[in-house]
Amino acid sequence: MGHLSNDEFFTKLVELFDSRKGKDHGHIFLTQKRLSYDQPPLPEPTSDTILPDLHPPRPLPVLIRATNGKGKENRAKKIKLSTVVDPDALPAFFERYADVCKAGMTTLKPRDRSKRKMKGKKKKATTGGIGA
Amino acid sequence: MPHYAKSEEWLRESQLLLEARPTTTRITTKYSIKTPKLRKSKTADDAPATETAAAPKPARGFLTLKTYDPASGVTLKYRTSKAAEVSRLIMCLGKLSRPMAGLPEQKDEAMADAPAEEGTPAAEKSEAAATATTAAPAAQQAPATGGGKGKKKKGKK
Repeated sequence: MGHLSNDEFFTKLVELFDSRKGKDHGHIFLTQKRLSYDQPPLPEPTSDTILPDLHPPRPLPVLIRATNGKGKENRAKKIKLSTVVDPDALPAFFERYADVCKAGMTTLKPRDRSKRKMKGKKKKATTGGIGA
Repeated sequence: MPHYAKSEEWLRESQLLLEARPTTTRITTKYSIKTPKLRKSKTADDAPATETAAAPKPARGFLTLKTYDPASGVTLKYRTSKAAEVSRLIMCLGKLSRPMAGLPEQKDEAMADAPAEEGTPAAEKSEAAATATTAAPAAQQAPATGGGKGKKKKGKK
């Protein structure tokens, strides 16, 4: 499957997260790495630059993948998404990415706001017990 | 395969790894949903059926961030289950995508933002507290002469 455009990737990623909503198990894998295939070749290593990939002459795009981790006997159900983000578009992409992930990862623990209340209740309960 | 307790440490080490091996290193974010494990009751017969039916415990999720370089075999991991961390961690991924793309490191904007973000809720809180103290006497005028003192006495009894 070829790469999706960034917009398509996000709509599909939302669908992927939605498909896990309300389920009690499953995984979603998100991967990112430098896109090094089909790129203009790097300069030959010289004595100064033994590893030419450390300082590429121009910024390289980043490959983002998302999958639901289905394989083997479940291969038919596998969802694989991938997109290529240009170096200029990285900040905007990750802002949107953060929003999508935040909205999609619903089973994580929400910020605990009940602690203070619980403490107060406990104190009241104990003092009440002593009083009675 | 180190697991880091703090996301900052994971971020720093990952950054170093990416700077050393930008072509092969990849970052995988795994979002997992698991059913909470049910304790086995001693009456083993009908336990599984009733427990699953009777326990509407919400599924627990967690997020594992893994930086892996297949060339050197280095793996760095960080795991969390807090929803509050998600957006910050994704912004960390964004930061890490810069060495991946071969861009120079950006000046740290997140650190400049953090104190400001902390400052506003505190200010709101103090304002809220101020309004609460001013509002409280008006509401409780009948029973108590001095709001603060009355509360303390009640507690001691």
